[in-house]
Amino acid sequence: MRKLQTLVAAAVAVTLLAGCGGGTATPAASGDASSAPAGGSGETLVVYTNSNGEGRGEWLTTKAAEAGFKIEIVGAGGADATNKLIAEKNNPIADVAFGLNNMYFSQITAEGALEPYEPAWAGEVDKELGDGETYWPLVKQAILLGYNSDKFAKDAAPQDWTDLWTKDEFKARYERVTGLGTATAQLVFAGILSRYRDDSGDLGISDEGWKQVEQYFQNGSPAVAKTDLFARIASGEVDMGQMPSSIIAEREKSFKVNVETVIPSVGVPLAVEQVALVKGTKKKEQAQKFIDWFGSAQVQGEFAQQFNSMPVNKSAEAKANAEVVDFFADLKQQDIDWEFVQENMGAWVEKIELEYMT
Amino acid sequence: MGGTPVRSMARSPFVLVVGAVLTWFIAAFLVWPNVNVLIATFFPDGDFSGRAAEKLFSSQRAMKALGNSFLLAVALSITVNLVGIFIVLVTHYFRIRGSRILFLGYASTFIYGGIVLAAGYKFIYGDKGIVTSLLVKVFPAMDPGWFSGFFAVLVVMTFATTTNHMLFVANALKGIDYQTIEAARNLGASTWTILRRVVLPMLKPTLFAVTILSFLTGLGALSAPQVLGGRDFQTITPMILTFTNSPTSRDLAALLAVILGVATILMLAVMSRLEKGGTYFSVSKVSSALEKQSITNPVANAAVHAVAYLLFAVYTLPVVLIVVYSFADGAAIQTGQLTPGNLTLDNYVRVLTQQSGLRPFVVSVVYSALAALIAVGGLLFVARLLQKYRNWVSAVFEYLLHIPWVLPSALLALGLIISYDHPNPLVGGAVLTGTTVILLIAFVTVKIPFTLRMLKASFASVNSSLEEAAAIMGAKTLYVFRRILLPLVLPAAAAITALNFNSLLDDYDTAIFLAHPLVQPLGLVIKANTDGAEGVEGVANTFVYTVLLMVITGVTMYLVYGRSRLRGSTKKRLPGIPPAAPVAGPTLSGAPVPGEDATQPAAAVR
Repeated sequence: MRKLQTLVAAAVAVTLLAGCGGGTATPAASGDASSAPAGGSGETLVVYTNSNGEGRGEWLTTKAAEAGFKIEIVGAGGADATNKLIAEKNNPIADVAFGLNNMYFSQITAEGALEPYEPAWAGEVDKELGDGETYWPLVKQAILLGYNSDKFAKDAAPQDWTDLWTKDEFKARYERVTGLGTATAQLVFAGILSRYRDDSGDLGISDEGWKQVEQYFQNGSPAVAKTDLFARIASGEVDMGQMPSSIIAEREKSFKVNVETVIPSVGVPLAVEQVALVKGTKKKEQAQKFIDWFGSAQVQGEFAQQFNSMPVNKSAEAKANAEVVDFFADLKQQDIDWEFVQENMGAWVEKIELEYMT
Repeated sequence: MGGTPVRSMARSPFVLVVGAVLTWFIAAFLVWPNVNVLIATFFPDGDFSGRAAEKLFSSQRAMKALGNSFLLAVALSITVNLVGIFIVLVTHYFRIRGSRILFLGYASTFIYGGIVLAAGYKFIYGDKGIVTSLLVKVFPAMDPGWFSGFFAVLVVMTFATTTNHMLFVANALKGIDYQTIEAARNLGASTWTILRRVVLPMLKPTLFAVTILSFLTGLGALSAPQVLGGRDFQTITPMILTFTNSPTSRDLAALLAVILGVATILMLAVMSRLEKGGTYFSVSKVSSALEKQSITNPVANAAVHAVAYLLFAVYTLPVVLIVVYSFADGAAIQTGQLTPGNLTLDNYVRVLTQQSGLRPFVVSVVYSALAALIAVGGLLFVARLLQKYRNWVSAVFEYLLHIPWVLPSALLALGLIISYDHPNPLVGGAVLTGTTVILLIAFVTVKIPFTLRMLKASFASVNSSLEEAAAIMGAKTLYVFRRILLPLVLPAAAAITALNFNSLLDDYDTAIFLAHPLVQPLGLVIKANTDGAEGVEGVANTFVYTVLLMVITGVTMYLVYGRSRLRGSTKKRLPGIPPAAPVAGPTLSGAPVPGEDATQPAAAVR
């Protein structure tokens, strides 16, 4: 008897769930391309991003609503969002994707899951930072080596990543990663390996380059799950490690430490967060309008102000935090062949995970 | 219980109907999507390449991590049984003072798990932990980093994964016929002999099932080694996850997963063989409910009490600390500097006043409840048939149903996407991607192996003569199932449902690929709020979500157990169920252990 009730309840609930899915904005279920906006949901744009944490997703949803866009943010890590966009390419669910860096977007573009679109603000950004056709730059992020400045004066501090494992005073004092799943870690290695490009070497890298990787892992202190680098710096376990520029100010305050960053003579790798239109979206026009709005100087400026980021849009710089703008003005960008990096990154990660991580 | 010829099995219409539905389900959701994803993985350009094997077997790190995973699996199969059986006996079999309180302490693993549990142990025994600090004061020569590596991982995972013992072994224990124990005692058997020769053998099917689960938990260990393993004891799962996420290395992930899967299936085969041929129910004409035993030897009695309370402390301390730390700010959590002054409600306010509010909680509760009910409801029939009919057909079905144990959930999800992103005749020409149904399907499938194992074990302890008697008196198959068998396995089924529900609540790996954009479950929200895994708010949020999930899972357990007790008391009045009923029966009625209500399971530490 109870079983029967359970089954009935289950059946009812399934119907309800399916109904609400089919009725609102199921792009796939509605089959024909016209996809009349059902119910009261209007044209809800589905936006994939890895940049929704720390309140950014909510901020954007609210701002977009004020500008007349109804959006639904689907947050996922960089690799997850990339895999999801590629897996769904035959029947896309997203309309717009943003926040992923050039490495991820070039991978998605190569799989044919994005649609070229030139936003209204294309003239206000440095085209070189995107691919100038499909994905367009929004926010710059520097991938830095930071150290505890209470322990090391500037001239006693490392001058480059390679110092960490060649000079004895830094050995075991720096945190090294325990996995290469994150974009930040991959960019650090893109920056190091790019210097040792050798087309006759293994995976395009000379033996000398691979030796650096080996040394990096042998001499570093492994990162600890769920313990932030800044927490480890605060407790004196380590003194330095990788960090994206945007988090430094806030973490210094939370953990009460002072951190300075190293600018190697070759420069630092930049991660540039991009935006793109998803191929096969059934709300193309609306999605394009959203991209035009989101990348505009006005919105990017407000975003930068709110989240301490560095906008790519030149007209948005005025609104960004002056310290951040100054930092980037002085920053030497490392010259990295992103096409080369993107082609090889998968294989590099694999090799490092299998052979060098201990 | 010997084999049943396939031909006689095919004569029952009940078998045919269940078989047809099952065949479709297995073909559509277990075989086809996973074959697709494996083909895409191993034959990227239409040719098979041995690349993956070559790479993996020449990698020292991969081989060592794989070895560690196996070591952990084997060790856990033993230690979890030791601790698990001990706490079950202490709470349900022996007369121990305060067993009700003890039960609540041991049951704490029901409601939490994962990385936060590992962190909780680190707060206590880690290099800056409370116990370590005390010990270092007493023994200054002691190494503060003593709690790390294989030993620490094994200890934490052992205590974290006794949930299945507390639920299922305890359940089976309550079903033992007390008369056999009394008889043994009258013949002069000692407490120890009775345990070893009478009690434990009756628990075998359940012990086999939970041993497989412990083995599997060890193989899939993720967060405990990450937090406590240190340099020397890392396992294979983090590598599988990294490679799953990278399209060019996915073949390595799949190969590793298949290796672990094959090991699990072998374990399953061994256990099935051991289980075969035994009689696991009472054969006496009138069985009676278990009574608690006193330990007569005063020394042994004192020792058992001491160990029981020590374990109680081990179980409860982490939970207490996690709850306390959930009120601290993220920096304090990570540096371990806790002062009463910096405990505030801020973390809870931040998490609960988000724009998304309670909606993700509701979505997850609905999805998890549906998936748990469907999995258990459907498999009740299947487990019964697989347990009753033993021949090659049912063996094939049984192994196919374990496919979700072989592949990591991200690959299962990718398989569903690539198989159902276009109209597919297997599902009546529908497109499933982008609908709310696809996630439900995935949730149901990932819970099938666990559900099946535990249900089968619980059917195995049902006395078949009851069923035969009913059949002789003319009861139809469905009637027998509904009125005789179902009430007997219902306690186990309820526990399985609750465990399934709890483990799906915060699922991320499946939901990230399959969730409908407008109906996003909790796992995605948790991820968005805790990611970077580091950071200040992120870590604090992790603790808050853990505590909130503890509340939900605690309430679930209360509902399930509270209600089953009610049903138990009405049940007695129902005609048709012999009062002498059997083994699993007594569990239902007013359980001798009062603490039971608080029970609730959660995801094991993986």
